[in-house]
Amino acid sequence: MIYVENLKKEFKKTIKDPGLKGSIKSFFKPKNEIITAVNDISFHVPKGEILGFIGPNGAGKSTVIKMLTGILTPTSGKCEINGQIPYKNRKNYVKEIGVVFGQRTQLWWDLALRETYTVLKEIYEVDDENYKKRMAFLNEALELEDFITSPVRTLSLGQRMRADIAASLLHSPKVLFLDEPTIGLDVVVKDNIRKAIKAINEEENTTVILTTHDLQDVENLCNRIVMIDKGLKVFDGEVSDLKRRFGQARELNFVPENAESINDLDYKNEFLLNEDDLSVENNGVSVTVRFNSDMVSVEKMLNYTLSKTHVKDINVTDADIEEIIKGIYRSEVSLDA
Amino acid sequence: MRKVFKIYRPFTHAGVLLAAQYRINFFFFILGDILRCFINYFLWHAVFTSGGEKTFAGFSETDMVVYIFISFLTSVIAYSDGSYAVGEEIRDGNIAMRMIKPIRFDLAFLFQELGERLITITLIFVPMMLGVEVYKFAVTGVIGFNILNFILYLFSLILAYLITFYFNVCYGYSAFILKNLWGANFLKDCIVGFLSGGVIPLAFLPPAVAVTLNLLPFASQTYIPVMMYVGMFDVPTIIYSFALQIFWLIFFIILQQIIWNACVKRMSVQGG
Ligand SMILES: Nc1ncnc2c1ncn2[C@@H]1O[C@H](COP(=O)(O)OP(=O)(O)O)[C@@H](O)[C@H]1O
Ligand SMILES: [Mg+2]
Repeated sequence: MIYVENLKKEFKKTIKDPGLKGSIKSFFKPKNEIITAVNDISFHVPKGEILGFIGPNGAGKSTVIKMLTGILTPTSGKCEINGQIPYKNRKNYVKEIGVVFGQRTQLWWDLALRETYTVLKEIYEVDDENYKKRMAFLNEALELEDFITSPVRTLSLGQRMRADIAASLLHSPKVLFLDEPTIGLDVVVKDNIRKAIKAINEEENTTVILTTHDLQDVENLCNRIVMIDKGLKVFDGEVSDLKRRFGQARELNFVPENAESINDLDYKNEFLLNEDDLSVENNGVSVTVRFNSDMVSVEKMLNYTLSKTHVKDINVTDADIEEIIKGIYRSEVSLDA
Repeated sequence: MRKVFKIYRPFTHAGVLLAAQYRINFFFFILGDILRCFINYFLWHAVFTSGGEKTFAGFSETDMVVYIFISFLTSVIAYSDGSYAVGEEIRDGNIAMRMIKPIRFDLAFLFQELGERLITITLIFVPMMLGVEVYKFAVTGVIGFNILNFILYLFSLILAYLITFYFNVCYGYSAFILKNLWGANFLKDCIVGFLSGGVIPLAFLPPAVAVTLNLLPFASQTYIPVMMYVGMFDVPTIIYSFALQIFWLIFFIILQQIIWNACVKRMSVQGG
């Protein structure tokens, strides 16, 4: 279905010294710097799978999507989707895919949402009957009714995202690409979007590739994830596997009643763990303890903290993606050693 | 051809809807243009009154007035925002939103622009034409309207618009290289305005210059259609002029395709 082999993308960037002098200098004698945004990435996705592409900001996720959707031509490497090469014969290729970029919109900003769908209907040559069926289906999955007659610029971010996803699905594409579909949305809306994507995948066996820097997205949605960092693939496998191996990091945050009492806490000596498994940060107002929940349970950590100090506020959160990536690098180092 | 029309017609429809949203803007734009047109008229009026000569390179004062207003009308109709729209989309990366659709950009832009300008064109075309003809009648006392010239003019005008459009698309695609087009765009409009005969008839220029400018694509954008309307071309010149216009249209359509193909390879859509 989707084959990606040794995909690579380099950008040439002109570096400019500050000020007018810098501008003039760079006009006559530009200094170029090569940025490798995507470095030798390979993976393959079978039909009907939801693949999560995860990585911190600037990892190269959008660049991969842009190459897979035919917007950018790879510097080297290959990608093939439905037997077609995206950047060759673009017009034909894009008939079979749907694309949403979370930070952009394909909707007509100044027109009523419905007008965009009418334009798309003609572009993709969807006949009247199919169009009706399709709109009914999308309406149910994405609840567009409330705002389908409103101008797009008046939609909330969550509504716009639903509308954009619907727009990408009007022609029943075989593959759906979603670049950060939940960016900037609140928890409830995120959840709705995830459910809709899942429903579409189940109903039509659409292959979905989505990128995100939110672990929750992949936990709830994806069969499989590919994690990239600085353009390199650092993990490829099941979400549970990643969690099991690297997802044990937790973060305890609390605000003590009185700042003095923090001195009574001595995590290092209590749990006897090394720097990788336990670290404490105190900014004078709140305290952050990062710990490996394999080595010390959340319960023990909480009990110890609460026995030594009174708190105004306390919470424990999952590791975020940066922490997991750190964990991956650490484990690679220890494997090498 | 029918299919092309069916696919891209919604762009025209969307264009009309968009224009309806910004009708006040349009109104002021046109008002400014009409004002400029009258200034031009008073200028030439002064020239003719003070010069004492009845004609000027074959133009009487009446001819000149007709020329001013018809060339104004022509340049308003055969105007294209293409370069601005294309350049802007390339600069902000929104061109990506077009690339993910199975469409040709040139046609999408073309049909949308036609829609956006449909209302303006209908609002301005008929009154201007009537105005010019009434003026001619008032001055000469005979009805000078020539249906044949008018039809030739319409054909030439359509070609002029398409040439302008594709010329501007070529220019817009160069935004890949000159990422920021703002200043250059204004300069371009001024230069093209002069070279196309939109400011003064090319016949007023020294013969060597006029002959050269006649060959350039700019003459095809304003000068040729206007000369068709005022009926100052003989038959061979008419045929030759149409051939020239068609040549330039094909030239820019092909050039546009070549530039685009080259651009796609070095495209670096930013953001998102
Ligand atoms: N058009 C471009 N020109 C130069 N550098 C770019 C361009 N697009 C992306 N980059 C760089 O490539 C890297 C990856 O970007 P991107 O794919 O957008 O990351 P992500 O989507 O994972 O946040 C970043 O360092 C970014 O600055
Ligand atoms: Mg991104």
